[in-house]
Amino acid sequence: MVRFKNRYVLCEVVSEDPRCRQCIEDRALGLAVRDAITRVHGDYGLACCSISFTVKYLNAYTGTVLLRCRKDSYRLLCSALPFVRYLESRAQRYPCFLNTLHVGGTIRTCQKFLIQYNRTQLLRLLQNCTNEEERQCIQKSLLSCSLTEEQSQSGDEEEDDGTE
Amino acid sequence: RGPAGRAMAAAAAFERRVVRRAAEHHYLRVRLELSDGGARPNAPQFKQLVVTALRELHGEVGAALPVDVLTYEEKTLSAILRVISSGLVKLWSALTLLGFYQNRRCAFRVLQTSPFLLALSGNSRELVL
Repeated sequence: MVRFKNRYVLCEVVSEDPRCRQCIEDRALGLAVRDAITRVHGDYGLACCSISFTVKYLNAYTGTVLLRCRKDSYRLLCSALPFVRYLESRAQRYPCFLNTLHVGGTIRTCQKFLIQYNRTQLLRLLQNCTNEEERQCIQKSLLSCSLTEEQSQSGDEEEDDGTE
Repeated sequence: RGPAGRAMAAAAAFERRVVRRAAEHHYLRVRLELSDGGARPNAPQFKQLVVTALRELHGEVGAALPVDVLTYEEKTLSAILRVISSGLVKLWSALTLLGFYQNRRCAFRVLQTSPFLLALSGNSRELVL
């Protein structure tokens, strides 16, 4: 049967300014992405991409963002993401950029990728640790991620980065 | 490379070639309708108008489309534009939806379009028998 197919774009917000974390919210990010699409692809591009455009998931601690759009216009969206240069909220502007990690057809595939990605990131952080207390902290949070906890918490534990 | 030609050779020395792939460029003869009583755009301003129309509808990507104004007559405000074939739809839609030139109402009328420049020289609509 014919159905509407979506594409889910997984990105991460990278910024040098630590205060940028607090202004990562869905409205600010949605506006910034729409503004970038308008600049790069004009009114036609904005209308195409806005049909089913939402920010599905946001994690301010790790800067992970999941955007949804129609399958027909995901290339317009992906090509406009490098043009997001700052996030603005509450009259504060912070320079940042978006790193595209993965484009998937469903939220489930993006979640599988994110879990895998976070695992490798944790290991890399452990290797790059400079002092002993950070090392202890990360090791403790790694060991506390286990599937023997309650069913409802196990999904969150796997995605938790353990940083910050 | 896509299908370049398909030769159909009959028994006699008759051969028909069908070219499937369209030409590289498309040519449009357009006329700008502008209300009287006001400065008429010269050639650079006309090109600026076309690029502005593309930028409004298709953004920076549209404005970067390689469009050339081959001829321009300021008296009749008509011009021949050349655009790469893949950008014909973007250019034509941008010209259609342009409404204002320096806060004056304007409209683009596309008189002829063809992948061959020679075809623009004859116009059967204005043929006087």
